[in-house]
Amino acid sequence: MKKVRMLLDFISRFHAADTVLDTDLVVKKENRFFLINTELRLHIQKDFFYAGAYLGKAKGNVFFPSFILLAMMAEKKTNRVAVDDKGAWLFICGRDIFKRGILNVVGSVRKGDYTLVVNRRMECLGFGRITRNIDDERDVKRVVVKNISDVGDFLRREKSKA
Amino acid sequence: MSGKEFFIRRYEELGWTYSDVELKPSIRINATNAKKAEVLERLESQGIRLEKVPFLDSGYWILESEFSVGAMAEYLLGLYSIQEAAAQIPATLFSELKQKIVLDACAAPGGKTVQLADLMENTGVIVALDVKRLRLFALSNQLERCRVRNAIVYQLDAREATRLNMRFDCVLLDVPCSGNFVTDKEWFKRRTLKDVERNAELQRQILTEAVRVVKAEGEIIYSTCTLEPEENELNIDWAIKALDLEVEKIDCPGQNGLTNVFGTELDASLADCRRTWPRETQGFFVCKLRKRA
Repeated sequence: MKKVRMLLDFISRFHAADTVLDTDLVVKKENRFFLINTELRLHIQKDFFYAGAYLGKAKGNVFFPSFILLAMMAEKKTNRVAVDDKGAWLFICGRDIFKRGILNVVGSVRKGDYTLVVNRRMECLGFGRITRNIDDERDVKRVVVKNISDVGDFLRREKSKA
Repeated sequence: MSGKEFFIRRYEELGWTYSDVELKPSIRINATNAKKAEVLERLESQGIRLEKVPFLDSGYWILESEFSVGAMAEYLLGLYSIQEAAAQIPATLFSELKQKIVLDACAAPGGKTVQLADLMENTGVIVALDVKRLRLFALSNQLERCRVRNAIVYQLDAREATRLNMRFDCVLLDVPCSGNFVTDKEWFKRRTLKDVERNAELQRQILTEAVRVVKAEGEIIYSTCTLEPEENELNIDWAIKALDLEVEKIDCPGQNGLTNVFGTELDASLADCRRTWPRETQGFFVCKLRKRA
């Protein structure tokens, strides 16, 4: 339960609705968390490698979310910044978000908070930490969201294997 | 018994004249994650020219692209997968997949597992196996990228699937095979008939185990990307005689399976298998087997 708490704490940092996860259906394998459904629960065996929707992994006291979890959160009311096409492309290349790339903000604009980063279609590209109060920042060339994780990671994983 | 001349002579004996083939890259749209028309529009607006693969619902050949389709946002968001056109056929041949219990016995790197999930609309259960742990990471990445939610993955040899104590409605056997010269430029240098025979034996062991775990009247789709009859028609001829299986007709491109291989007459139902010699796609063999009740 302590470890599931870590997962819930992560979600709460986005001020997300509590309904993102049914914790009764969260299963853990070593340091990785998965969300299964009632059908999978009937068949899953303890030596599984991967099951259902991968939610992320814990390393020490830090939780690293999966992109499935972030996409699930994006379907709910949660902190998010929507960015333009150029900002979206730069973000999935690992870059931070400049004030000028932001189309709109939902939820927190406060420095230090976590926020999802979505494109103009509201598809979740990853998440970051707000580095300056977004509403207050007047300089459009300033970074306002620092990239923590983005979907370009799938490519980086492939390259690191190669 | 190896070398380009040796294999080309075999293909001629089987009725095909060797020619070099340039494989057309292709993608498959993950219809569960996005509307096809929308994905096409998004890709085309970025300068990618696509052509629908006539024998696939969601498959498109890439005719022209300024960018790598494996590095685009739409790919990273799981809206499509890169999957060779012929390799998209096997998963589409099951009669019904939604709500079913499906075994993907040789699953990594996961292209077909994701396709199964897409066809099942994330209902039912896919049990995906692979024997090598390293390959399971590639499989997991695919499942995460494409937001698959109905798969359970085990590190397990397909020949030990009975250890799961499960019975399956459908079994996909995209078995490890000798491959072909279209996807491997060094193929003729590297392959020998001995490799082919070794793979054929492994495939028979996998088929045998699949029959143990499939329900009565359940379906097995068997596929390879090799042209060698030992791994294709000869194995299926053996399976229908030894394993209480029957070959079912399938509606997909390709020629009839061979019923005479190097002078040996095979069961007439082998004609219902499909053999694709390399042309627009890589070489491919596929058949649908049903376990007798």
